[in-house]
Formats: sequence, C-alpha cells, structure tokens
Amino acid sequence: MLRYVTRRAAGWFLVIAVATNATYFLASSFLDPRSNFKELRPVRTDEQVSRALAPYNLDPHEPLLHRWWDWLSGVVLRFDWGRSPVGVEVNGEIGHRSLVSAQLVIGATLLSVVVGVALAVHTASRQYGWRDRAAQALSMALFNVPVSVAALALVLLAIRLNEQAGWHFLYVAGERSPDVEGFWATLGDRAAHLVLPTLTLTLTGYVGHHLTQRSLLLDVIGSDFVRTARATGLTRAQAIRRHALRTALIPTAQSVAFSIPAVFTGAVLTETVFGWNGMGQYFVQTINKNDVHGTVATAAFAAALTAIGAILADITTVLLDPRVRVS
Amino acid sequence: MGTPVSPDPTPDGIPATTTVTAAAAAATTVTAPAAAPGPVAGPAAERPPTGHDGRYLGRRRLYLRRFWRNRTAVAGVAILLLLVLFSAFGQLLTPYHFSDTDFSALTQAPGTEHLFGTNQGGNDVYASAAHGLQRSLVIAVSVSVLTVAVSAVVGAGAAYLGGRTEKATLALIHFLLIVPSFLVLALVSHKLAGDWRVLVLVLTVFGWMSTARVVWSVSTSLRERDYVLAAEFMGVHPLRIVLRHIVPNLGSLLIVNLTLGVVSTVLSESALSFLGFGVQTPDVSLGTMLADGAGTITSAPWLFAFPAALTVLLTVSMTFVGDGLRDALDPTSTTGAAGGRR
Amino acid sequence: MTLAPARPTGPENPGPGPERPGPENPGPGSGPGPARPAPVLSVRDLRVSFPSEQGPVQAVRGVDFDLLPGRTLGIVGESGSGKSATALALMGLLPPAAHLEGRILLGGRDLAAMDDTRLARIRGKDIGMVFQDPMSALTPVLSVGRLLSQALRVHQDLSRKDAWEQAVQLLDLVGIPDPRERAKAFPHEFSGGMRQRVVIALAIANKPSVLVADEPTTALDVTVQAQILEVLRLAQRESGAALVLITHDLGVVAGHADDVAVMYAGRIVEHAGVDELFARPTMPYTARLLAAVPTAGSGVQRPLLPIAGEPPSPVALPAGCAFAPRCAVARDVCRTTEPDLTAPAGRPGRVACHRAQEIADGTLDPAGPAGSAVALTPDRAAARRTPGEVVLRVEDLVKTFPVTRGALLKRRTGTLHAVNGVGFEVRAGETLALVGESGSGKTTTLREVLRLRAPEGGRIEVAGTDVATLRSAAQVRELRSEVQIVLQDPTDALDPRLTVFDLLAEPLRAAGADRTAVRSRIPRLLDLVGLDRAVGDRFPAALSGGQRQRVGIARALAREPRLLVLDEPLSALDVSVQAEIVNLLVRLKRELALAYLVVAHDLAVVRYFSDRIAVMYLGHIVESGATEEIFARPRHPYTRALLSAVPLPDPQRERRRERIVLRGEQPSAARLPAGCVFVDRCPLHREADESVRTRCRTERPSTVGAPDGSDHRYACHAL
Repeated sequence: MLRYVTRRAAGWFLVIAVATNATYFLASSFLDPRSNFKELRPVRTDEQVSRALAPYNLDPHEPLLHRWWDWLSGVVLRFDWGRSPVGVEVNGEIGHRSLVSAQLVIGATLLSVVVGVALAVHTASRQYGWRDRAAQALSMALFNVPVSVAALALVLLAIRLNEQAGWHFLYVAGERSPDVEGFWATLGDRAAHLVLPTLTLTLTGYVGHHLTQRSLLLDVIGSDFVRTARATGLTRAQAIRRHALRTALIPTAQSVAFSIPAVFTGAVLTETVFGWNGMGQYFVQTINKNDVHGTVATAAFAAALTAIGAILADITTVLLDPRVRVS
Repeated sequence: MGTPVSPDPTPDGIPATTTVTAAAAAATTVTAPAAAPGPVAGPAAERPPTGHDGRYLGRRRLYLRRFWRNRTAVAGVAILLLLVLFSAFGQLLTPYHFSDTDFSALTQAPGTEHLFGTNQGGNDVYASAAHGLQRSLVIAVSVSVLTVAVSAVVGAGAAYLGGRTEKATLALIHFLLIVPSFLVLALVSHKLAGDWRVLVLVLTVFGWMSTARVVWSVSTSLRERDYVLAAEFMGVHPLRIVLRHIVPNLGSLLIVNLTLGVVSTVLSESALSFLGFGVQTPDVSLGTMLADGAGTITSAPWLFAFPAALTVLLTVSMTFVGDGLRDALDPTSTTGAAGGRR
Repeated sequence: MTLAPARPTGPENPGPGPERPGPENPGPGSGPGPARPAPVLSVRDLRVSFPSEQGPVQAVRGVDFDLLPGRTLGIVGESGSGKSATALALMGLLPPAAHLEGRILLGGRDLAAMDDTRLARIRGKDIGMVFQDPMSALTPVLSVGRLLSQALRVHQDLSRKDAWEQAVQLLDLVGIPDPRERAKAFPHEFSGGMRQRVVIALAIANKPSVLVADEPTTALDVTVQAQILEVLRLAQRESGAALVLITHDLGVVAGHADDVAVMYAGRIVEHAGVDELFARPTMPYTARLLAAVPTAGSGVQRPLLPIAGEPPSPVALPAGCAFAPRCAVARDVCRTTEPDLTAPAGRPGRVACHRAQEIADGTLDPAGPAGSAVALTPDRAAARRTPGEVVLRVEDLVKTFPVTRGALLKRRTGTLHAVNGVGFEVRAGETLALVGESGSGKTTTLREVLRLRAPEGGRIEVAGTDVATLRSAAQVRELRSEVQIVLQDPTDALDPRLTVFDLLAEPLRAAGADRTAVRSRIPRLLDLVGLDRAVGDRFPAALSGGQRQRVGIARALAREPRLLVLDEPLSALDVSVQAEIVNLLVRLKRELALAYLVVAHDLAVVRYFSDRIAVMYLGHIVESGATEEIFARPRHPYTRALLSAVPLPDPQRERRRERIVLRGEQPSAARLPAGCVFVDRCPLHREADESVRTRCRTERPSTVGAPDGSDHRYACHAL
C-alpha cells in the first residue's frame, strides 16, 4: 500500500512540475510587464524599461528560454519563486497567503464532501420522498447560483444577524483581526473569520457531491449485493450504510481531487468578496500587474492543492477498496 | 517521457461507468434504477401505424413524436423560444440602446419610462437585459455545443480506439483537469478581453475535459457491447461505428451535458466578469449584469432581479428540454416505471 | 392455524384418488405417517404489480401454494412468468414501487403486511435466499468471512470472534477448501461456483425454515451447476429447511423438486407432484413445454415441437386464459374466461384449464393434434447426402493473451493459452458445434475466425482463401460478406437506437449498397426470417426476444454469407421460443445451403441442429465426431461428465442415472498442465494404473480416431 501511494505521489509531483512550467510559458507570452510602464510619465524608452525589468529576470529582450532556465534553477535550487515587476519577492507574498487559502480550500472541500455525501445517503434511502425532493430542489437551486452572489447574500445575512444580535460575531471582511494576541485568542479569531467564506464555498461546493453520490448510491442500491445483504436480515437503511455506501464512495473519493480546481476558483471569488489577503486575491492582483512570477506561483499552489487532494483520494481508495490492495 | 502519470480515476476492477460528474448527476436523477424484476421493463409496445407500403418511418420522426408528447419538455421549448425571441427582438421594443446613458435617470427603479429601471450609469436595464441575454445565450450555447462536440469525439474516439491513443488522451485530459484552468482562462481572456468570440474559444478549449472524461468512461462500456462487436464483424468503418453506434448511445449523456454546459458556461462567464476578466464594457452579458447587480442588491434590487430571473428561466427551460429529449431518445428510459416524478 | 380459502392445501388433492402416489421422498421434517404436516409457508392470492407507462404491469396475479417442511417446491416458468417477482415478494425484497397484495404466512405471521424493519428481523433468520448471479451477489469490498459473520450477528448475539468461527464452519460446510484462510479473502478472489457456495452459506447461516433459491445455477457452467445443486441439497438437509426452487430449467426441477408449480403469465397454471407432472402433464402449456424442451439424454431422440407464438406481454394480457392464443386445444370459453386453478377429478394436483377434466380423463391430448406444429427432426441425413465444399478450414489455431499485472506499468507475468492447436472444417450445408464451458476457448476460436486476419499460429481458410494472404482492407471487406455472425443476446446485439430497418440496412450500406438496393432487400430479408414487414419501423425494445433474434439472423444474412457463425444463439431465449429459432435455423441452412459454426455450452440444444460436435476443454478439442455418435458413445471422460451433468427433464431417469460429478472447476488457461489439460479433474486418471497416470501428467495426448473408422476422434491416454 505504501508503495502504491508513493508511486502515485511521485506521479503527481511530475504533473505539478509540468503544469507549473507550462504556466510559466503561458504567462510569459500573455502577460507583458512592459505595459506597466506605458502609463508612466515621462515616457520610458524601450531600453529603460528593459533595464528596469532585467534585475527581476523579466527583460523581454532576454530569450524566453534563458529567463525560464534562470527562473527554474531559482525555484529548484533555492525555492525562490522570483520577483514581481517592481521587485517584490514572491516568496514573501505567498508565505502567509498560501496558508490562509489552503485553510479555506481544504476546509471547504472536506465540508462539501461530508455534507454532500451525508445528504446523499439520507436522500437516496428515501428516493422520491419529500425530503429527497426538497434536498434535490435546494441543490439544483444552489447549483445555479454564482459563487459571487452566494457570498454577497451571506454578507448581507451576516450583517443583519450581527445587527439583530447586537454582537459582532460574524466577520465579513478580512482573514484576521489586527489586534489579537495570544495563541488561543488568535486561533479563535482565525476560526471566526473562516466561518462565512468556508460556508460560501461549502454551499456552492457540496451540490456536486450530493447529486453525484446520490445517483451512485441509487445505482448501487439496485445492485444484487445490496439485495443479498437485505436478504440476510438488514433493513434497507442498514444495507445502504454498511454495503452500498462503502462501494459507492470509491468513485467519489477519486473525484474529490478533480473538484479542487473548482473550489480554488470559488476561493478566488470568495476572497475577493470577503477582502482576504489570500492566494486568490493575489492571483487577481498579479494578473492585473502583469506579474509573471506571481501568477506562476499561484498556479503552482493550486496544482499542489489538487495533488494533495489526489493523494488523499488515493489513500482513501486503497482503504475502501480491497481490489486495489490486492493487485 | 511517455505518458505523464495520470490520476487514473478507475482502479482495476471498479466499473468505470460509475464515474459521473456532478453535472451529469444533476440531471440524471430521473433515471433511477428501479428496474422491475420479472416483467419487461420499459415501454414495450410503441405501435407504429400498421398499413405498410415498404417505406419506413425514419427514427427521427419517432423521436419527435415522443418528445412532443412530453408536457414539461414542450413548456421548456416554449420558454426557451420566448427567451430567444426576447433576445433577438426585445431591443426593438424600446427606444433606448443598451449602451445609451440617460443622465437624467441614474439608478432609477422600474417604471413607465424605463421598463426595468436604469443602473448607476443611466443605462436602460431592459435594453441591457435583452442584449445581455443575447450575448450570454450566444456564448453559452456555442461554448456548450462546441464543448460537447469536442468531448464526444475525443472521449468516444479514445475509448473506441483504445491502446496508446486512449492512454495519451486520458493523460492529457487528466493533466488539463488538474491544471487550474480558471487561472489560465483569466490569463488568456485578460489579454484578449472584450471580444466575446475569443471568450467562446477560450471557454471551449478549457472546458471540454470533464465531459470528455465522462464520455470516455461510458464509452468504454459501450465499446464492449455486442452491437459494436456486430458492427465490426459486418465490416463497418471505425469512424462510422463511433459516430453511429457509440456517440448516439451517449445521446442522453451528451444532452444532459449540453443543457448543463449552458448553465455552467453562464456561471463561468459571470465569475470571470465578476473579477473583470470576462465580457468587458461597453459590451454587456447576463454575467456582467449579475455581477453589477450583486453590488447593489440592497439599494437597487432590480439591477440584480431581472438578469437573475432571465438566468433562471434560461437554465430551467434548458433542463426541461434536455429531460424531454432524453426521454424521447432513450427507448429504455424508466421514468414511468420507476414511479418517477410526476 | 386457519387459512382463509377452504381449498386443498398443497398440490395433492386430499380426495380419494385411487392412483395417488405417496410422497416419494419425504423430507426429514415430515413424519412417516399419513398425517400431513402443517405447511411452513402458505401463500394466498399473492398479487404483485409494477407501475409502468402503459399502466400497471401485473407480474403476479393470484398465486397460492403451501410449502411443507423439508420438501422442495420447484417453480418453473419462462421469463416474465412472474416467478422471480414471487420469490422477491416472499422475501419482502420487491422494489418500493411494486404493489403487493395477498398473504404470505410464515410461522403464523403474514409477511405481506409487514414493513421493512419487521421483515428484516425475519429475513435471514426464518427465510433465506440464494440469488441467481453469484458474480454480483456479494459485496465486493468486504471479505466473505466478514459478510458471513455480519449475517450471523444480525440475528444472533455473538461475539465477533465466535461469529467468525461460525463463518469458517459454514464455509467448510458448503465445500470451500481451506475455509480458515479463505474467509479472509474478498469475493473477487473466488470463482463463480465458489461465490455461489458463499451465497448459499449466507442463506443458511441462521438455519432458516424456508430457503428460496431463484435460478441458483443459471449463471454457472453445467459441471459446476451439478456441484452447486448438491451443495443446495446438503444445505437443505443440514438446516432442515423447505426449499422453493425457482428455475426455467425443467431438468433441474425434475432432479431436485418434490412438487412442481408451473407459472405462466403471472399465475400458477399447474401444480402437481414431480413424477405426476412430468409423466402426465395436464395443462396444455405444461405438455407443450415438455415437448419443446431439448434433452441431452442418450435415449431415443424425439422431435422438438415448438409452441407457436410468444409468451404474452404482462402489460397486454389477453382476456381469458393467457395461454389460449398459443394453445392447440383452446375453445371459445378459453378466450373469454380465465380458468381457476382446480383439481380435476381422478387426478392429484391442480390445473388451471377449462378442458382439464377431458385431459385428465384421457379423452383429449393436451398437446393437440401432433400434425398442427411442424415437428422438428434433424435433417442430418440430407446433409450427409450432399457433402458440400469446405467453407471453413481451421488448422492448428493458436491464440494467446498476455497476463499482466499492475495498473500503471503493465508487466507481463504470464501467458493465457486461450486456444491451443485447434483444427476443424465446416462444409456447406453442415453444422459444426463447438461445445465447452466458459473458458474453454470456444468463443476465442470463433472470434479468431471472424477477425479475418492471420492468426497467431496455424491457418484459417475461409471459402478457399487463406486469410493470411489478405493484404488490403478491401480484400478483408470482400471476404467479410462470406462470414457473418449471430450473437448470443439479441437484446445487446441490436443497437437500441436504431429501427429494425436501419439495423438491417447497416451491413448492406457497409458493403456499399445504394438506397434502392437497401429498400428492396430489407422486406425480403424480413420475409426470409418469418417476420412481419411492419416490424421494420420498430425499435428492438418493442420486439420480443424471439423476434429480436430473428432480426439478428436477418442482419447476418443480409450480405448472403456462406458461413454463419452462431455464438450461443439460443441461450438467451425462453424454452418455448428456442424450438422456433432452431426450426428457423435448420430451414435457412437447407434453403440457402449455409454452413454453420455454432458455439454453445448447452449440449441438449446443440443435439437438435448440429451434424458434428467438437468438445473443447482449456483451448483443446478433446473429442469430436458426428452428433449422434457423441451422444450415443461418448469416449472422452470430459464429454461423458459433461453429458451426465446436463439435467434431464425426466424425474425417473434423472434419479436413476449414474452421474459423474467432476471435482473443482476448469482451471485458468494461464497455467496449463504439462500433460493432459483435463488431468486435474479426470475421473479416469484417478483410477488408471501408474504408467498411464505418468503419461497423463507428462505427455499431452494426441488425437486418435475411434476403432470403428468413423470420424469420431478423441484425445485421451486412458482409453
């Protein structure tokens, strides 16, 4: 089993490497740091611009392959992700941000899976009952709501609730309060700030798991082995929990990895609405500032998150499915 | 390096058909597998007219007949038709152009002068909505059609051809799936922003993979079907087998993905627009209107309500049509037998 | 206990029947005296319906029976007769949409009135079930030991350890070797037969008083079927349970049931003791069914009499008796009033037929005048008179598959010898049947022939052309018109989205036929296979099984091939329809001078339309010869075991005959023995002397001709 997971992890690392490098070339060809200088007065000459960008390995006169090699050796040898067009170190920017975003993305992904699967189990055992229909309708409705709208709606609701309660217990802006000290206080403060953004992402993210898992379960519930289990004396609900769910979870476990890019997209929007200094917001900024290295670092971060999800999915699959273990 | 390590979603032995995307699952809810034991499942006798002169009714006419018998599907078509008419001719019914600014009426609530009110810039919301709907409809439908076409051919082709082609295609799909495509989308559309045709292209290029993966996994089971084997032994050309036996039998799946593709394209486009990477001013789409309206949801709710209502009508009608088409195309659909939603 | 209708319980009429035979085989639960024991299970007026687009489907329409302790009731019927719905109703496992009426009395409780929670307490404890398909009946992600101990712990207060211990004992009981080790294994590590043993162990885990077995051996090979039926008998004996054995196979019923209920269109149409029913069927349907079923017995061959028409659709049942449209002795009353299940005077058992009394009195033949149906007798003699040219010649065919391990980097770890040195010829107007169990290589042989490419080893010659000499795709396409295939399951072989017209047009279009040629050919094709021209508009889903197989045959004939390859052409069809298709195939062969290469596992069916038989085992032809010669004088021990394992629809002979039950199952072709491939299961090998045994182990036997000089050939050291 360890060998299997190690092998898969190695594969994922390769994918991240390829994806990151591909993004580098894409970003280099689509983002032009020179355009940052266009608005500046007095107008800079081409040469001046090149000279200004050269220290940051962004000089367009330098062949792309050279720049790429410099960048790559920096990343590989010193884990240095380069600098922005104005010389800010990317490493310094992403340290804190990546932690904040990772919390959000991983938390929301886990919650989505748990909520989605639980709801699916609950509704699949009552197919076409009113609870099934209600959950179905709710999920379909949420499926059609853009993340930005969901986030804004929650902000409005939170403000209303805060007013009603006369107590500012739901935070609608920022990822932390500036003046909190002490370990436990910081932890509590962070958690309180996490509530609404995570809720936003969970509400929009669980739908997929609910609907997929429900139809997977319904497929499995109709299968022969669930009938066999019931014939030995289990009720329908018991047979679903003990026999159908475990089998039907295998494809879900595998699909979690593929849902992470979507969660990350949601995180970009959520961070924008809630004014978080996370990777998502950083990403929007870097694109607008033609910051090639920052953009690539964000892409690498997203790919790494996906890979972590995928490795967890692999481990889960191995635990769930004896057929993988044996081969 | 041969194939990048692919996140193989189906370890040995697990039936590949069970991998359904959220999107597919969302609309396949009706086909619950409550097949009755013993008696024949599915509609048995679809008796065509008897008198016979050697000419046979095409299957398209049979499909159509079944489709028109479905009331919700017809309602869906009606709503969709109205939306299309509104998007095409709605602008003719108002003196304002969507890009006209009426500085005498900024952020005005709906009234007689401006039927749907105006926004902060004094643009007529009615005119904007008509134009935005048109823009979104065109973008969403073309992206969805292109995406489904690409994924059907790629997915089914990979499954049918098998071997190295299949492996390479899957590796590419998995690679593109885990690459944060939204980032790439933002990158590219930021550079080429403004032109909706570029947006269509970009959304298609980065949007076909998940459908293709589902198509592939379903096709791998279709590939093993006896009728594909029979066609091979009859000497039917491989391309013809894919187009005639595999793709049509993916019909319901593709239709579901087509309708949901429209929904998800509207959502993607609105997300891009929200961040300023999508359709750019002065052009207007439902996505940009939703994004604009979201900011003033308390002070000027109509700015959000009208595009939101249009979006919902669009998605709902698409779903109805898709459902109806699936029932018409799928001769073994168990909608009725499963005591389905009625 | 009082049962509502004051009607005779059980099949035997309690009235003073002079010729009433006593129970031949009183079960362990029944006393020796004349007093009838109380039934363990009583079903009264059971009705099951499913909603459908066309309105409710009446799957079961008023079924009554009593099951006595320790006895076996066989319920026989074709697909759609309601037998499986009955089984599921007994277990309370009908899908939620189904509507259930009537009473199911088990130990004084009415199961039909219970909800799922209360039923769950009874299922597994008082009534257990064995399902049809062992490959899918076990949860793939749990070990069999865990499945069994879970089943035990549902009803008994056992510690995990004790439950596991009992699970191991159960596995031992049902004949799983090394049960302690195997309990830790997962279902996918077991073969089909072994899985079915586990399913039986699950069913008897809590010693239920009633066992329901729904087609328990249908998915298994015939030699394994014999083993599983033995295990079922043993399980029944161990638990003392009464058994409801549901099957379509009259042979299985003949050998294993005490009483038989025949179902047709959702009702029991005849219910009698097994000897009585087989010896003197009263209901015309039973009589016709018995006449339509092929037998593999070595006795005198009798013609197969097909039943005209097809079983009715459960959504469109005819008024009156459901069998009337197909019945040779139906009267007007049969078409208007449905007969009740009653006991005719002077006969034990119950029959639902208006003319039962006449039949019971012997004044009416239930099968009707014999001349009304075309009797099917093999025209083997005709074929021998005109030995056509060789259409297919296969020499020394070899086909291997790599055995790989690992999901990512596939490493080749072995070779599967699917076909190993197979050779045969088929002549125009002749049928050769390749017979063997799954994994014997018969289907691979057929696929290799159809591929029309140079084989891995050996030679394939089609219509005088060596396929290895074909160079271009165009040449292959041309030769393709000479060879066509009819596949096993007509439901799967026809694309559900094409109409019959389009299905038949496909091979013509692939050959480049134009529109008008297609238009004119298709009605003629439909005529040829005896289908109404109007069928062209229909989708396959709107056709019955027999009609679909006719479409499959028509499609294969579209390009006027000389060789038709038939892959299990009858195994997916009901018995009453099989005879018709056999009839059609024989007629087409005669009219079109076709050559047939048939692949089948069912020796009984093959007997009726093949001229020669080749028996395959593990990729080798172990015996071949003229059909009647093989049936009359089988030589190879495997052929003999195969023939003796096929259940005969005749309870007397089934009980009398000597049976060779083979041990184990056909091994994987990835590890072929060095000597004879059959050596591990061979009964002759075990009894042979030392020198022969050594040869069996080390030397692969060559094929030799029988001493009589015919073309009967076999490969065995011990003969």
